[in-house]
Amino acid sequence: MSEANTEQELIVSRQILSINQTFSTGPVMGRFLIELRDNKRIMALRCSANGRYLLPPREVDAMSVTEGDEWIEVGPGGTLREYDVVYYASPDPLTGETRDVPYVIGWVNLDGVEGIAPLWHLVEADDISKIKTGARVEAIFAEKRSGTMEDIKHFKLIEEEA
Amino acid sequence: MSKNRNVGIIGCGMSKFSSHREEVNQPEMIFEAVEEALADAGITMDDVECIVHGNMELFEMVHQPDMWHALGTGTRGKSGVRLTTGGTTGATLACAADNLVASGLHDVVMAVGFEKLQEGHTTGGISNMADPLWGRKLQAGALTGTTALQMIDKFGEERAKACAMKHRVIMDEHAALNEKAHRCFNLERSFITEMMDASPQLVGELRMIHMCSQSDGACVVIFASEAKVEEWKKKAAWVHDHETVHREESIIFTEEKTTHRVSAERIYARNGITNPREEIDVFEMYDPSSWWGLHWLGEFLLLDGDEHLQMVENDEICINGKFPVNPSGGVVASNPIGATALVRVAEAAMQVRGTAGKHQVPKPVHKALASGFGGTMWSTLMLLSDEKLNLEEAS
Repeated sequence: MSEANTEQELIVSRQILSINQTFSTGPVMGRFLIELRDNKRIMALRCSANGRYLLPPREVDAMSVTEGDEWIEVGPGGTLREYDVVYYASPDPLTGETRDVPYVIGWVNLDGVEGIAPLWHLVEADDISKIKTGARVEAIFAEKRSGTMEDIKHFKLIEEEA
Repeated sequence: MSKNRNVGIIGCGMSKFSSHREEVNQPEMIFEAVEEALADAGITMDDVECIVHGNMELFEMVHQPDMWHALGTGTRGKSGVRLTTGGTTGATLACAADNLVASGLHDVVMAVGFEKLQEGHTTGGISNMADPLWGRKLQAGALTGTTALQMIDKFGEERAKACAMKHRVIMDEHAALNEKAHRCFNLERSFITEMMDASPQLVGELRMIHMCSQSDGACVVIFASEAKVEEWKKKAAWVHDHETVHREESIIFTEEKTTHRVSAERIYARNGITNPREEIDVFEMYDPSSWWGLHWLGEFLLLDGDEHLQMVENDEICINGKFPVNPSGGVVASNPIGATALVRVAEAAMQVRGTAGKHQVPKPVHKALASGFGGTMWSTLMLLSDEKLNLEEAS
């Protein structure tokens, strides 16, 4: 070890992993994605045991520990509960591409949801400084849809009439 | 709560934390912490029965790291367990080690937390923790500015920003006292506004200066049964209790209580703590950013209103203050993720045992609290004491 402490060159091993993945959606998330793709509809799953809305839908509501049992169409309009203006150029994990900044991600409580079940998505506006908590937004669907969350392109800020 | 037998922490060790540990490989870096913990406990590897190993495997992307690391941990021929629970991994290691000794399965258990973040991609790894069906596209690593937004709304822009920066500077002052800390900038209190304005925004008002580091490092904590502590005549930090709370969603904001507040309420109720600010002597908090550190202080102490801001403004959280928080410098100073939450337990134990050296708080420490934090808003608390649990009373 004494030799290593003096002038030894530090050799490192550089490696890049690239991984293709295919995830099963299951019937519940699958139904949600089919509705996005085929009908441009956002469907929440309601749990009648406690009235909680699950969005994105999950098979079981963790609070009541019972299955969601009622599909309800919500949106496409909604209210912004929280938002993040991202300046840090992180890589998009789905493509590996570095994202353009700034961009805004928001938590949108869609019209028709009773209680709080915010959907997490991109929020766009001509002037992002106008994006505020409580702002009205609307889902914009992609022209070409393939049964993914990206079938909603983003939520667009609805500018209030002056 | 009912515990079969008392468990004491008798040894703690850490590697040097840094973003430049190219001179050692993973097992070599872990060995630094193992060697120090064994020396601190005054025992040898022969006395250790079981090793609980943990890191975030998504970061280095090494399969069965505990096998490779056996060269550094000394697991060969002993029982071994590997755990990973995201940011809370280190805290989960401590909970598991406590359970393994309390159950009577083992008398001496060594918890080993590790991460070498420079060998992976931290933000990429964290982004892949989001739900692959709906969250990955959006996850920007562990960065969020929503806490800053909420605090600015609630307390006013000037005060909230000044408090977050004051918290940052106090942590930096503490890091200056800790020779193991990764980062210490010698930040000055008189330039708070200038330092904040000069620091790039990451997300909203979360700026580079508020955020924790990406560190390489390992931490080791040795847990022993009461019989072993007495046989070996060791000064122990006794594990009184631990609590873990998490949520179903990855990050969703509701008006329910935070997991931090729920975990604190539960652990205080079980241990007869009615006024944590008076009854706990030092708190090692997993504070990934100054905004979270500031906000979570109020949550863990069950405060309402602006009391947690006042605690920062009036220096109460300083090492020589009434309620010292992170005399080690905390997570903004050093963040080897799989080790980070175990470092909180180690630092709390060092304060109880009086072995924290230059960052030992200058008052008697009878009770210390350590927290862990991770994905799906995991919150883990461990309560340590200089006195054994009265098992009859506790059950």
